[in-house]
Amino acid sequence: MGEIFRRIRYLLHRRRFDKELESDMEFHREMAAREGRNNFGNTLRMREQAREAWGWTWLDRLVQDLRYAARTLGRSPGFTLTAVLVLAIGIGVNVAGFSLFNMVALKPLPVPDPGSLVRLERRSPQSYTSEMPYASALFYRDHAKSLSAMMAVLGVPPMEIDGDLQPTSASFATANYFAELGTRAAYGRMFEPAREDDASAAPVAVLSYSLWQRRFGADPSVVGRTIHLNGKPATVIGVTPYDFATLGGQHPDIWLPIAQQPYFVEGSKVLTNPSAGSVRMWGRLAPGVSPKMAAQELLALTNELRRQHPKDIWNNEYIDIKPGAHLQVMQPEMYRVAAMVAVLTLLILAVACANLGGLLLARAVTREHEMGIRIAIGASRGRIFRQLCTESLLLAFLGAAAGLGLSYVVLRVALSRLDTPKWVTAVPDWRVLLFTIGISVVAALFFGLTPALQIARQRQRKTIARQVLIGAQVAASCVLLIVAGLLVRASLHALYTDPGFGYEQLLSVDPQLGQHGYTPADAQAFLAQMQSRLLAVPGVKSVSLVEMPPLGHIVDRMTTEIDGHSVAIYPNWVDSGFFRTMGIPLVLGRSFYAGEKNAVIVSQSLARKQWPGQNPIGQKFKNGDDSFLVVGVAGNARVNAINDDDAVELYWPAQTADMADMVVMVKAADEPGTLPPIVKSISASLDPKLFPETRQIKLLYHDNVLGVERVAMAVSLIGFVAVMVAGVGIIGLVSFSVSQRLKEIAIRLALGAKKIQVLAAVLRQFAWPIVIGMVVGTGIAAAASKVLRKALYGVDNLDPLSYAAAILVLLAIVGLAALLPTRRALRLDLAKTLHYE
Amino acid sequence: MPSGALPMLILRVLQTRSLHGYAIAQRIHLLSSEVLAVEEGLLYPTLQKMLVKGWVTAEWGISETNRKVRFYSLTPEGRNCLKTELSDYGRVTQAIQDILRTA
Repeated sequence: MGEIFRRIRYLLHRRRFDKELESDMEFHREMAAREGRNNFGNTLRMREQAREAWGWTWLDRLVQDLRYAARTLGRSPGFTLTAVLVLAIGIGVNVAGFSLFNMVALKPLPVPDPGSLVRLERRSPQSYTSEMPYASALFYRDHAKSLSAMMAVLGVPPMEIDGDLQPTSASFATANYFAELGTRAAYGRMFEPAREDDASAAPVAVLSYSLWQRRFGADPSVVGRTIHLNGKPATVIGVTPYDFATLGGQHPDIWLPIAQQPYFVEGSKVLTNPSAGSVRMWGRLAPGVSPKMAAQELLALTNELRRQHPKDIWNNEYIDIKPGAHLQVMQPEMYRVAAMVAVLTLLILAVACANLGGLLLARAVTREHEMGIRIAIGASRGRIFRQLCTESLLLAFLGAAAGLGLSYVVLRVALSRLDTPKWVTAVPDWRVLLFTIGISVVAALFFGLTPALQIARQRQRKTIARQVLIGAQVAASCVLLIVAGLLVRASLHALYTDPGFGYEQLLSVDPQLGQHGYTPADAQAFLAQMQSRLLAVPGVKSVSLVEMPPLGHIVDRMTTEIDGHSVAIYPNWVDSGFFRTMGIPLVLGRSFYAGEKNAVIVSQSLARKQWPGQNPIGQKFKNGDDSFLVVGVAGNARVNAINDDDAVELYWPAQTADMADMVVMVKAADEPGTLPPIVKSISASLDPKLFPETRQIKLLYHDNVLGVERVAMAVSLIGFVAVMVAGVGIIGLVSFSVSQRLKEIAIRLALGAKKIQVLAAVLRQFAWPIVIGMVVGTGIAAAASKVLRKALYGVDNLDPLSYAAAILVLLAIVGLAALLPTRRALRLDLAKTLHYE
Repeated sequence: MPSGALPMLILRVLQTRSLHGYAIAQRIHLLSSEVLAVEEGLLYPTLQKMLVKGWVTAEWGISETNRKVRFYSLTPEGRNCLKTELSDYGRVTQAIQDILRTA
């Protein structure tokens, strides 16, 4: 221990100790000289040896090397700028990708004690749901000792403020929500657990900062004002802060206490119904409790709940506990996507490093002279190698700094375009910085090692390194281009493929009868009236009923086994007019009769899978113990799975018992945008306490497609940049090769060789690396694109068109890159070249 | 001379009194009847190592020629080290002698 302190003292007071050593040795010489013994040794060398005992020689050498490297880089500013730029792109892309991942999954929310916040979801080996009944949440809260608090959020369709035409997003939350998150109101106050837990208290609302700015003119006097939400008066008690962090990343504009939900949604029994999944549940682990302990206790409680309400709990159900204090609660599929993106960004880094390696190789030749001198003076190979590695490290850190800056700029732009909460910043935190350092060291290893080894061993004549570098660049660019090509085709496919139903003219109207306490008989009466009133409107062509509208909030999916393959079927409950209204053709058979039971209509793809080669009409479809008669076959229509090309549909006839959950689909004669106000007035005249959610399907569809387009565009941009970088790199290496063989080319031309022959001679060394690079790249892309299947929207991951296009583009760029420098060489003034030394 | 022995010899020489660098070399030369001569190039690196390890300390003093120079002296750790080194050396030498005698 003492030794370490002594060593540090030696580092800090070097000069003093050095002087003392100097004086010792001088004295020694004086005394020796007196006695006539003259030791003529190298004083400086001996002092250096003595200093080595202090153990800081490595630091000295490092500082020396850094100074030398900085001077060398400064002497060739062109090279340094190019290298830093290339590295900035390669490193910057990776840092940006990691920053995004960090923002979403690693950085904790800016709330007190984020480590103890957890997200609780119902899960079983066969099923999963993100919402649970509020009654269950209360049960767990009351009985779980491992949870110190429970927060629940109930999402509802947008509500109308004071007669606005456009509704505003709203959510109900437990009274302790803001308290647990430590939110401080920008104006007024947030929910207080004592006051807002009471269902009979005066109804209150909290506004979001952006809503307060947009709609209430940033007027502080809005606090205390009464507003009407869906017709119900409520007092505004506060405004959330500008950088409010919510659980789960959703930011509704209005917050209401969950205890007052029955007031705002008249007749609703959602809070007490043990079967209706409704709230997203979060909790705080009690101090000292680990997630494992909590999971065990919750499992015991789940089993107890099953005893009380056996129909509402699945077999083998358990409560899944995940860390809750991040922007996004990560599901397993998301990790796979993140890994895929990481691989792509690393490929770009590989292209950048290969590029840089090539640049360094070329430069190495010009430094032959310098290296020769250094070795002649007495530098060991190891020393030179170390110094070159330091140069690479310096370059890497410069590139990393530039890359960090580049990534910051890109992230700022991206964040401003996407709808992210205001507390998310592009400023890098310690994780991002650590990642940047790590990746620049890795990059330095990749591009620095080969040239350094070559220089130190003075064997630049072999071309194998050059060929490997070109091969690597071609392979990486190939993968990037193919993946970009696949994604672009997928987005085009999504844009231009017919989803199978007429989304352009559809409107979905969800009166939420069940939530307002309608009985099935009442619901049936209401819906019948609504449909007939709607048909009377001139702009309406037809109406029908469906339980799960397209691009709606809920999706149901069942998995069955057909011929050993598991098939995902999307069921839906519809009335007889459904197919006509939605524009789905009935290929065989007929639609349902009114009130028909025990019948089923299948989609074409399901029919083909289940009864290949036979007539599906009259066949029996088994579901559990019941069997249903197939009365019709409908065209494929991805009503509930827009993005899944393998989707298969099944339609049940809607029964009276289902009526309270039904949604009305309206087909407009031309422009559906004119209908919502008419729908609103019809509904208000039938029952003023209803506020149906009206959505235009074509708008939803376009939003969905927009997301895909954005991703495809981003990937294409990145792929393009990478290919350009590779192209520049290849140009560099080829022109370097050419410049080396200038004399040879000139002689060949002088002796009468045809230009083509000379070209072939010079470029032959690159032919094999390029071919191998393409093959390897294509292979990797084929394997990797398997992961992308879900995102590829019906484009085969081995789609020949994308692969062919990508390979052709790459060949074109590579060809251009190879030919450009050689063309210049071929137009040489032969006499001058032959004379030039 | 075996380079591993020098630290031990220096420690032994400093056991009785503090000396400056040249005097250490002289004393070793003298006491070994001029068999062992310690070069500058070996002495000072070894002294620096021993300083870092904390076996000796150095203080400024006046030499016999009226010049300011650093005098090295043993620390308690140095004394312990000397004891250990001596016993180790004794054992090893004994072992080598046994082999040479009988093998």
